[in-house]
Amino acid sequence: MALWPQSSVAKKFLNAITGIGLFIFVVVHLFENLLLLTGNPDDFNRWAHFLESFGVVLRIIEIGLAAFFIAHIWSALLVYWDKWKARPHGYRVYRTAGWTSRQTLSSQTMIYTGIVLLAFVIWHVITFRFGPYYPIMVDGVEMRDLHRLVVEVFNEPINVVLYVAVMVFLGFHLRHGFWSALQSLGAYHPRWTPVWYSGGVLVAAALAAGFIVIPIWVYLYL
Amino acid sequence: MATAIKLDSKVPSGPLESRWTRHKDQLKLVSPTNKRKYTILVVGTGLAGASAAASLAELGYNVKAFCIQDSPRRAHSIAAQGGINAAKNYRNDGDSIWRLFYDTIKGGDFRAREANVYRLAELSVNIIDQCVAQGVPFAREYGGLLDTRSFGGALVERTFYARGQTGQQLLLGAYSAMMRQVDAGRVTLYPRREMLDLVVINGQARGIVCRNLITGELESYVGDAVVLCTGGYGNAYFLATYAKNSNATAIWRCHKRGALFANPCFTQIHPTCIPVTGDYQSKLTLMSESLRNDGRVWVPKKKGDTRPPNEIPEDERDYFLERKYPTYGNLAPRDIASRAVKAVCDEGRGVGATGRAVYLDFSDTIREKGIEYIKEKYGNLFEMYQHITGEDPYKVPMRIYPAVHYTMGGLWVDYNLMSTIPGLFVLGEANFSDHGANRLGASALMQGLADGYFIIPYTIGDYFANTTLPKVSPEHSAFKESLADVHRFLTKLLSIKGNKTVLEFHRELGMILWDYVGMARNAQGLQIAIEKIRKLREEFWNNLKVPGDNNMLNKNLEMAGRVADFLELAELMAIDALHREESCGAHFREEYQTPDGEALRNDEQFCYVAAWEYTGDLGKPELHKEPLVFEFVTPTVRSYK
Amino acid sequence: MTKKMTLHLRIWRQPNPHTPGRFVTYTIRDVSSDMSLLELLDVLNEELIKKGEPPVEFDSDCREGICGTCGFLVNGVAHGPKRGRTACQQYLRDFKDGETITLEPFRAKAFPVIKDLVVDRSALDRIMAAGGYISVNTGSAPDANSIPIPKEIAEQAFDAAACIGCGACVAACPNASASLFVSAKIAHLALLPQGQPERIRRVLRMVEQMDKEGFGDCSNHGECEAVCPKNISIKHIAIMRREYLRALWSL
Ligand SMILES: Cc1cc2nc3c(=O)[nH]c(=O)nc-3n(C[C@H](O)[C@H](O)[C@H](O)COP(=O)(O)OP(=O)(O)OC[C@H]3O[C@@H](n4cnc5c(N)ncnc54)[C@H](O)[C@@H]3O)c2cc1C
Ligand code: HEM
Ligand code: HEM
Ligand code: SF4
Ligand code: F3S
Ligand code: FES
Repeated sequence: MALWPQSSVAKKFLNAITGIGLFIFVVVHLFENLLLLTGNPDDFNRWAHFLESFGVVLRIIEIGLAAFFIAHIWSALLVYWDKWKARPHGYRVYRTAGWTSRQTLSSQTMIYTGIVLLAFVIWHVITFRFGPYYPIMVDGVEMRDLHRLVVEVFNEPINVVLYVAVMVFLGFHLRHGFWSALQSLGAYHPRWTPVWYSGGVLVAAALAAGFIVIPIWVYLYL
Repeated sequence: MATAIKLDSKVPSGPLESRWTRHKDQLKLVSPTNKRKYTILVVGTGLAGASAAASLAELGYNVKAFCIQDSPRRAHSIAAQGGINAAKNYRNDGDSIWRLFYDTIKGGDFRAREANVYRLAELSVNIIDQCVAQGVPFAREYGGLLDTRSFGGALVERTFYARGQTGQQLLLGAYSAMMRQVDAGRVTLYPRREMLDLVVINGQARGIVCRNLITGELESYVGDAVVLCTGGYGNAYFLATYAKNSNATAIWRCHKRGALFANPCFTQIHPTCIPVTGDYQSKLTLMSESLRNDGRVWVPKKKGDTRPPNEIPEDERDYFLERKYPTYGNLAPRDIASRAVKAVCDEGRGVGATGRAVYLDFSDTIREKGIEYIKEKYGNLFEMYQHITGEDPYKVPMRIYPAVHYTMGGLWVDYNLMSTIPGLFVLGEANFSDHGANRLGASALMQGLADGYFIIPYTIGDYFANTTLPKVSPEHSAFKESLADVHRFLTKLLSIKGNKTVLEFHRELGMILWDYVGMARNAQGLQIAIEKIRKLREEFWNNLKVPGDNNMLNKNLEMAGRVADFLELAELMAIDALHREESCGAHFREEYQTPDGEALRNDEQFCYVAAWEYTGDLGKPELHKEPLVFEFVTPTVRSYK
Repeated sequence: MTKKMTLHLRIWRQPNPHTPGRFVTYTIRDVSSDMSLLELLDVLNEELIKKGEPPVEFDSDCREGICGTCGFLVNGVAHGPKRGRTACQQYLRDFKDGETITLEPFRAKAFPVIKDLVVDRSALDRIMAAGGYISVNTGSAPDANSIPIPKEIAEQAFDAAACIGCGACVAACPNASASLFVSAKIAHLALLPQGQPERIRRVLRMVEQMDKEGFGDCSNHGECEAVCPKNISIKHIAIMRREYLRALWSL
């Protein structure tokens, strides 16, 4: 019996679980990054240092996160691979029937917004995680001055523009991804599903907006 | 060719209640290991065919199942709306097997076999059990038990239903049971196949010839028995409530190979259908009979009154059913209401663009009970009506007209459902068995499933156990001949290259049948019909135009073959109607009516099944009579007053 | 109100599975707005036959929206503009006079085109054979009322069982997924007490067969629900996934 991960249903479980995992990471990450805006550079660095102090545990979490990324991308590619195989001859005229259809620009472009996110994350991790190490003393302890790095990066207008653009893609990805993940896991409720579905717009917009504020703020005020 | 066929109905004797049980006990059995050696060809996958295929395969037989549609689930049975009768007496309202039996035999105007009808009523109980176990989502009450409602011709609530889609749900149940056997390797499906001939070897039905509807290839299939479940032939009338692919081809070709055709003129016409809107019309849609509970039927008093209905004042309306039948009014029985509607339209008082419709008006009920009442009771029907006609029946009266709905006639079968050709069994609407001259609502589904689930599995074993079946192969000369015949037939259709399309011929035939062999018939009209049918048939074979080729998907060629058969069957229908000089059930001969227009049955001379034998000359079929003996009920006059 | 219309039909013509197809446009004048779309095709075919041209092949049977035989894309939407209806229930009055109507066959690898607008949907039957049933031999059923089923449950099961197997969900799905069709059957049987014993096997086998047939996976576009003539909800896809989780759990 062909089970996960070949089965179409299981593929979506994996995609959804990892998608939710990544979503949680991004939400937490947003709040972390909002520390940049507290006015006191030490807040951000202190938090980063606090995380660093977990050492091996943090490494494991990071590896887990990477695994989630890989599994998410892998399952997403499988879904798309099947999609392309399943309709080799496309329609000349095709449009959505509207009404209850959940087909949107965002649902149709998951693979593209996803690929943009992938490229972004690689670039982003190289820039920050593996970027230059500026030491700084906070409360008598030596830490990595990530605040300075961020400020440096976001003082380049081009980086700000790229970041803002990518965050729009993130918003689109989550506009469909948010409710879709719940549906993929079999969570359906006649009353709540429409709420999740409409709520997806808010969640996605809020998240994108939160991330957009950071580079702009840094560029303008720091 | 005419031989001394002796019709042996094989009806067992003894008390009515125990006939089937005793009969079963006396039937010979085939051992489980031997069952595997038999191959049964089941043609048709409607309620009768799917239930038969599943049940036979469960027993261990090899089954090959054929149907015209791309999936067996699409058989015409899918369209049945109302419900299925069963004498469960869950309501404690006095129902019993006897009562269901009596209602059915009386509804059929005493032109069916007592033993068959009793067996049907008996088995009805098991059908519901079987279907529920398969997961058929019948309507239920809040307590979780099955709900029932009442249907025409009965004083008890014994009709089980699944919204307005009972046929669909029952068929999907039977289909899924059959698909389970497909998975088990016991049933092989042959969709998009049309049976075009029966192969008879040494007097036994041993195979069929089919056309593969995708490639056009002719294919031979060998079997130890052939079970025909190919449905009714009402599409002979062209406009009918049947699905477009329903046809008479399989039964007609078996008839021409020697199977007798019983009571071909018994056709049921349903009074409440959505009327024809123009000559492009391709089929008619049934509106539930229940609408007549709350709607009033009327036409303008004046001929050719074209005012919109709402502008016709009350005193210029003729509520003709209420006028003619004061007691039953709008609820007059199907055949009577249908005839009355036709009569006013013939007078030129029909309404709508074609003048072939009457109003079914709900405005009084809406005024008295409110629109909500109507919505709740008939909401989906009103919606359907609006889909089709574009008119809002809440605002303007519905227009309705009778339409052909069911054929009680079919191949003659004995108590074991075997035709006059040994090894050829006929089930469901394709046979003539249980409904006499008129079928009660919600009993066709019951019959199809009784035949398929509970009768054929027993009787076919008896046939095998009593018969020696020599090995035959598709190379046998009978198959070769049959293939050649079919090939010649198809080539001929394609080679006429005349000027008229199949559709034109079919429409013309339909008009003839509707006008002369329809709701009311008379000797003169029937003679005319026979003349006209012969002429049309001749023209068909000289002036038909079929596009395309044989070696491809060619729906016009399929239709051409079916219409060719309808053109032959139509004559037999007229001949049968002409010979039956009485009015009974759906067969109304104008010459035989009481002074107040009631059907006048003639039990003295016509209490028999008319089974026709094909003699090679379509105009001269040979009549065989199976007398109907009533030992347990006394035929009475069917009165509606 | 009945009116006369002129319509242009842009139809996919393909003589057989191996020959590439193309669109051909036909104009039909003076047809009644009360006509159904399929009747318009009938009229067109009569004209074509008379002219000696091959008629347009399309599937239909009941012509009242219950058998699931008909179906193609009408102006890019499976079954056509009016929702909750099959192709045979679309009427000309819902189109504009002078409009060009594009008809294209259902397209999916699992639904190969046979000819013109006719496709092969037998894959759906094979999925049903893999488990779309309750195993109960004829004659072995207990009394129908021996297991009460709450009305609500029966109604929910019915909502799922109403599927007519038309394949429009597959045709409309951007991924050509059969999830709605498959889930409707799984949900129907999983809801009923009679369906319990085979729950696990059923969902695993039906999903496996669906995948084998070459249908795509479900990305929750919900387009299927919007074109489904029986308004089958994508709720059932969620139910199918829960059934699948249950099955994985219990293995
Ligand atoms: C609109 C409507 C509503 C109805 N409502 C009710 C109702 O509420 N209650 C009730 O009891 N009855 C009702 N009936 C009647 C009932 O539906 C039918 O009598 C019954 O379903 C017939 O079933 P069947 O199995 O005999 O044949 P069908 O369901 O007609 O099946 C015929 C099968 O034979 C196949 N076939 C035909 N010819 C060939 C061939 N040459 N080669 C291969 N295959 C062939 C077809 O493909 C199909 O699979 C209704 C009928 C109509 C038209
Ligand atoms: C921060 C990063 C990401 C987040 C938060 C995220 C989140 C999500 C979520 C919640 C879903 C819905 C899951 C479902 O439908 O069941 C999803 C789907 C998807 N994701 Fe991501 N994702 C991210 C990155 C990526 C990347 C890098 C790709 C790269 C290819 C990608 C491609 C996809 C695709 C294609 C889908 C749709 C799958 C389908 O259609 O079934 N995502 N994502
Ligand atoms: C403006 C917005 C953002 C800022 C300022 C920001 C900042 C940072 C910083 C400073 C780090 C390094 C942390 C460390 O090395 O300890 C980091 C890591 C990371 N960021 Fe962001 N980030 C932003 C947006 C995003 C987005 C939108 C995503 C995902 C789609 C993302 C994904 C990641 C990942 C995956 C890492 C690596 C985590 C790790 O290795 O632990 N970031 N980010
Ligand atoms: S789910 Fe709807 S669209 Fe899909 S096959 Fe069933 S009825 Fe057709
Ligand atoms: S449209 Fe397709 S993606 Fe899923 S929700 Fe319906 S099957
Ligand atoms: S022809 Fe039956 S659903 Fe359209």
